[in-house]
Amino acid sequence: MLEISELRKRFAGGPDSPEGKLALDGISFAVRPGEMFGFVGANGAGKTTTMRIIMGVLKSDAGSVSWRDRPLSYTDRQKFGYMPEERGLYQKMRAGEQIEYFGRLHGLSPEAAKQATDDLLQRLGLTERRNDTVESLSLGNQQRVQLAVALVHDPEVLILDEPFSGLDPIAVDALATALQERCRGGVPVIFSSHQLELVERLCDSVGIVSAGRMVASGTVGELRAAESSTLRVVVRAPAPGWADGLPGEVTVTGDRHVLLTADGDDQEILRRAMKAGHVEHFGVEQPSLTEIFKEAVA
Amino acid sequence: MNGLMLVAGREIRTHLRTKAFLISLAITAVLVGALAFAPKFLGGPESFTLGTVHSQQLPLQAAAPDAEFEWRSFPDEESARKAVLAGDVDAVLVNGTKVISDGEIDSQLGVLMQSTNREVKLGAAGVQIPPLTMESVGADTRYQAARTGIAVVLVLVLFMLIIGQVMTVAMGVVEEKGSRIVEILLSSVRPWQLLGGKIIGLGVLGLINLATIIVVGLGASFASGFAAEFPPGMAAIVAGVLVWFVLGYAFFATMAAALSSLVSRQEEVGNVMSPLTMLIMAAYFVAFYATTDPTGTVATVVSFVPPFSSMVMPVRMAAVEVPLWEVGVSVALMVLAVLGTLSFGAKVYERAVLRTGARVKLGEVLRAK
Repeated sequence: MLEISELRKRFAGGPDSPEGKLALDGISFAVRPGEMFGFVGANGAGKTTTMRIIMGVLKSDAGSVSWRDRPLSYTDRQKFGYMPEERGLYQKMRAGEQIEYFGRLHGLSPEAAKQATDDLLQRLGLTERRNDTVESLSLGNQQRVQLAVALVHDPEVLILDEPFSGLDPIAVDALATALQERCRGGVPVIFSSHQLELVERLCDSVGIVSAGRMVASGTVGELRAAESSTLRVVVRAPAPGWADGLPGEVTVTGDRHVLLTADGDDQEILRRAMKAGHVEHFGVEQPSLTEIFKEAVA
Repeated sequence: MNGLMLVAGREIRTHLRTKAFLISLAITAVLVGALAFAPKFLGGPESFTLGTVHSQQLPLQAAAPDAEFEWRSFPDEESARKAVLAGDVDAVLVNGTKVISDGEIDSQLGVLMQSTNREVKLGAAGVQIPPLTMESVGADTRYQAARTGIAVVLVLVLFMLIIGQVMTVAMGVVEEKGSRIVEILLSSVRPWQLLGGKIIGLGVLGLINLATIIVVGLGASFASGFAAEFPPGMAAIVAGVLVWFVLGYAFFATMAAALSSLVSRQEEVGNVMSPLTMLIMAAYFVAFYATTDPTGTVATVVSFVPPFSSMVMPVRMAAVEVPLWEVGVSVALMVLAVLGTLSFGAKVYERAVLRTGARVKLGEVLRAK
């Protein structure tokens, strides 16, 4: 299990702001093996800083990161796969060579690095591009090479900062499949994204950060349960004043009356509605992750 | 160690494959090769065309074995005058008693003809004069011209190679920092491995360059005959150049990596590097001055002061004989300076290379814990 606890980070300020900027204000969460963790939050909320601290690229002022119940070490991190937010590849290096090079840096033997590169290129549909320089590839293909660099050493943990940004829907699906495969193999995957529908679809659990704090985390189901769900009732041509005394708001479009309410006795509401007119719709609306997110960071 | 070698290997492979590297290597090789042939065309042996009218040829060749003489004979003084005025001959000996020339005669040729004539006439009268024996009680200056020439070429080569490789190190550091590759790299290798690998890799490329220049230069010198003028101890001079290149490069490249790790964009490299390029230029100028006055106080003193010694000492070693202890002290001081720079540079690099964005201030980096 990868455990992040009470991370704090303040960036040194310039002459304008001697206090500096508080980037992380005690972030904690944990990701289990085989779990896909979606990291969401507004720009500047602290997602990237957290990931960089996990990868050892940045030092935290306080707090700790542990892996398999021990403080995360340099050797552990060598077995992690990382994709930074701003993509980094050697532009003039050939795609295949680049993937192999990072495999070697992560400790693979020359043969193993070559084998892993061949497999990945095949899986990502880049076999033809093996000897092309990165700069000559389309953005989507560069992104695939970037992913291959993160995957080449068969990492034990995957940390991906905005892996889906800038991808077309087909590439998104391909990447999602690749991540799900790793995840099923028992690898904890953390990724950040602004595409909340995607996070909702892929992730087992979600963490919402705001201003350096984890404001909500858990499975999507748990987050929903925490939110008050909304009852939506649509009644056609009801008697006037049918909803008097009921909680919530009624909006009228033509002869359709729509009642939205967060509380109240649903059975009582249903009885009143049926008495008043023809009930077209009666159901509890699940808040989407977007709504939960907006609520959480508000 | 593995990471260090992998990084160095990548630098070497990537650069060896670029056209820029191969072309610049070819151009330097051609230039150096041409330089070895230059003395033959520029300062070749003197040659004179002489004429005679009713006279015996003077045995000038015996008196001046290094010069070349070509003799022509004219039927009368009139035709000889025409030839002189037309520039076909430098001087004509008429009736064994006078020499005609266009304007004043070349002074060396004049003295030579005068003394040879005297010797021939005295010899005919039975007077034998043993030639004066010459002996130098000062330093051996036979190879001075060649030594100075070699020193001048050396300064240029060392300067160009060091500044070229040092700028490549700086650009490489910023490439990695600016594109954030460094974030991925540093999650699999240590900062010192990344820094060291880059410096070693580009240093090896510099050595390949230098070795090519030396091999081509020596080869061309033997082919052109210039090698005959090489001073004794040429092997030591060459070995010294290699050692001094390694030391100088290690010093300047580490500084370059440290300075360039402060910025994130290629455009800022020139700016942040300017103190260092000025330092290299200063070393170059002092070294160049040393070629003109290799025994002077300035050259002698500066050849002990790192990092200037890395360019001035090899020049002194090429231009004059330098006592071994002086070389030893100078190398020791430079090695100390290199070690100091490595520890300072690694610290700055490690602290600055992940701080992308605006230029990081050096003082801030040093103050950080």
